[in-house]
Amino acid sequence: MTSTFHTRLLAFVLTAIALTIFGIKVFQYNYPLTPGTQTTTWDFEIYLDFDTANQPVRIETFVPSNSDTRRVSQEQYYNGAFGLRLETDDDNGRKAIWTYRYPNDRKVLRYRARLEGETQRSPLPAEMHRPADRAPPESLNDLERQAFLVWSSDMRRRSADDDSLAELILQEIFVQKDADEIEALLPVLPPPLDRLTLAAEALQSQGIRARVANGVYLDEARRRTEVQHWLEYHVDGRDKRYFIGSDPKEFFTIWYGTEEMIRADGVFDFEPQVSIQPIDSSASDVMRKAARADRTPVELFSFDRLPVTTQLVYQVLITIPAGIVLLVFMRQFIGIETLGTFMPILIGIAFRETALLNGLILFTLLVALGLAMRFYLEKLRLLLVPRLAVVLIFIVICMAVIAQMFNSANMRMGLSISLFPMVILTMTIERMSIMWEEYSPEDAIKAGAGSMLVASLSYLVMTNKHIEFLLFNFPELLLVLMAACLLMGKYTGLRLSEIRRFRELAKEAEPK
Amino acid sequence: MIKTWLGLRRAGVLGINERNLRLINDYNPRRLMRLVDDKTETKRLANAAGIQTPELYGLIRSPAEMRKLETLLNHPDGCVIKPANGSQGNGIQVILGPMRGGWRRSNGQRALLEDLKFHVNNILSGMYSLSGQPDIAMIEYRVKFDDVFDPISFGGVPDIRIIVLRGIPFVAMVRLPTAESDGKANLHKGGVGVGLDLVTGRTLYGMQKGKTTDIHPDTANPLSNISVPHWDEMLLMAAKAYDVTGLGYLGADIVLDKGKGPMLLELNARPGLAIQVANRMGVRPLIEACMKADTEGLNAEQRVELGKKLYREHVPDHVLV
Repeated sequence: MTSTFHTRLLAFVLTAIALTIFGIKVFQYNYPLTPGTQTTTWDFEIYLDFDTANQPVRIETFVPSNSDTRRVSQEQYYNGAFGLRLETDDDNGRKAIWTYRYPNDRKVLRYRARLEGETQRSPLPAEMHRPADRAPPESLNDLERQAFLVWSSDMRRRSADDDSLAELILQEIFVQKDADEIEALLPVLPPPLDRLTLAAEALQSQGIRARVANGVYLDEARRRTEVQHWLEYHVDGRDKRYFIGSDPKEFFTIWYGTEEMIRADGVFDFEPQVSIQPIDSSASDVMRKAARADRTPVELFSFDRLPVTTQLVYQVLITIPAGIVLLVFMRQFIGIETLGTFMPILIGIAFRETALLNGLILFTLLVALGLAMRFYLEKLRLLLVPRLAVVLIFIVICMAVIAQMFNSANMRMGLSISLFPMVILTMTIERMSIMWEEYSPEDAIKAGAGSMLVASLSYLVMTNKHIEFLLFNFPELLLVLMAACLLMGKYTGLRLSEIRRFRELAKEAEPK
Repeated sequence: MIKTWLGLRRAGVLGINERNLRLINDYNPRRLMRLVDDKTETKRLANAAGIQTPELYGLIRSPAEMRKLETLLNHPDGCVIKPANGSQGNGIQVILGPMRGGWRRSNGQRALLEDLKFHVNNILSGMYSLSGQPDIAMIEYRVKFDDVFDPISFGGVPDIRIIVLRGIPFVAMVRLPTAESDGKANLHKGGVGVGLDLVTGRTLYGMQKGKTTDIHPDTANPLSNISVPHWDEMLLMAAKAYDVTGLGYLGADIVLDKGKGPMLLELNARPGLAIQVANRMGVRPLIEACMKADTEGLNAEQRVELGKKLYREHVPDHVLV
């Protein structure tokens, strides 16, 4: 009995610790309890599709970067055989540089990330708060410099303070477009960069810090979104942005200056494509928290400090215990027969790649094919391990064929199958076929179906947005799951299946 | 559902969870399990303690020893091929005797040497062992079972299972092969389980596939009121099995040979719970009684008597015929 007491005490202590940390996070630091309540995040993708001709290729593109005010997470680079280098330049932004010496045929490079957008109210980066040195732009020749000085001192005269000066300059450049002196001063750049650059230079020359910012507007899902340019400036202690046309609700600054976003050498038939898509993901809150500068002691118990790529892994990993608790419950309380102990969880994880319905169909199909193969091999009288190997190879062939079939039928399902863990499949087939022979086909099918049921349920639990959100943001809840398993480990009552199995005995015991 | 559940509680029916936790975990230390998982080891221990087991003709430990197979099989009375680490009767082949070009299987079909070699190979590669570990094939004496169960069995060998807790035998059943179970006495394959009166060794009622039955499904003869010969000897064998293995909770599988009397086939450290259905009672009251009983200084004979006494005290009347 002491072991029972010990177990209960341990379970209680674990739960108490977990709930204390949970409570502090929720009540003291106002962690949100539900996913995606505040902002949307955006899936951002740069898709580079091009042809190569056996000459060195160099592709540079600006990619979003983290700063005090904006947040990028879950970055993924699809490099193919290309070398990737990341270069951060404080003045301009972060660049991804892909290189390859002798490529041939068509290549695809991709960059993906999740963005949390900025709004007009988002503060500008700290470097914008430094004072600017008053000097006319250096790129002008003497004549232009003269004209610039005349024009800017005229602006200065007509304004009351810096604020109105900035207003006036922008008005002059962007609204009264026909002014000749403006036309003469414009630098040689594609519109609207020319005017924006002029505006930035004019403001800088008056001691107002300004620069051209480039990025994307986050307005709606777009498969091909245009790169946008705007002006950000800091006047009278206030952060301001000037957008040509109407202000976007949300946007994301990717780089500064007048450089092009993507530059490619050694390629032709180049088709860059930038796409955005809104997602109401639980990750938004994660990023929101991560963006906060101040660290609280309870945040030691969170994944925010990890690199974003690792966070992504943990977002999957952390839900597995929830599936395991479900499995334990199904086995200890319901008494569902499964193939192998944790096999259903593995199948459930595999379903992540295929989605539930596709996964079930594929899994059943492959297991059926594998079983048929296994029974055929039975006739050949092979040794166990080589036989397993043959089944494994057969499964790979089946998967390849299915992928081909679905690919030609243009269905995505076929592509996801390649990631479907086939070792799990082979083990399932082997276990099922032994059960088939040694017990009965019904038993084998029952156990197979039981595995599928538990796998499906665990998949639903493991991919549930709320569970994922809770566990990822409050990893201390894992202790509660552990406590639950501890307590279930001491359950000595009948299983639901046993109530059915022994039901005849209940009748016998009835008082006569 | 809830009514059934309450009924089962009242009947003292034991579930798998409770068996695992309160019996196997508490009474069967892992290091002792090895003794019964490996049947060659069980046989050695039992013989040393004077418990009769089927004679071992030989072992095949590796494919290199396969050439011994033919001579090992050549007994006019047949033999049994079984995996040393098998469970639940998996992988057992019964050979009735030689026939032209091969051997006669228990189902009457002919088996070629090649077929049997394949089977032994499967055993060696661990197909039937508990955790898929490489295994040993045993070739041993084929039991010529006593005809006492002839009216109520169909092919194969009926066996008697006695469950022993702390050395006290407390519940027993006989397992009868049926056409459905393909000559095997395993209940999950469709064999019939018949409860035994622990005191007298007489059969009570039966069950098949979880349902109670009073007649054998193939022969249609009534299952009850058959006296098992050598009953006390069997109980003693089961009680002694505790002494030689040290396992506090075990099931002894015993067969009755026509000439040689009861023989211990194997011991099971994780005996199942179907015996409750076969006996039409929950075993918790008996288990509680065995747990509380003072067995200090009792020898096997005395523990058998103690078991009978506890059985008489705790078994509800409706169970006995």
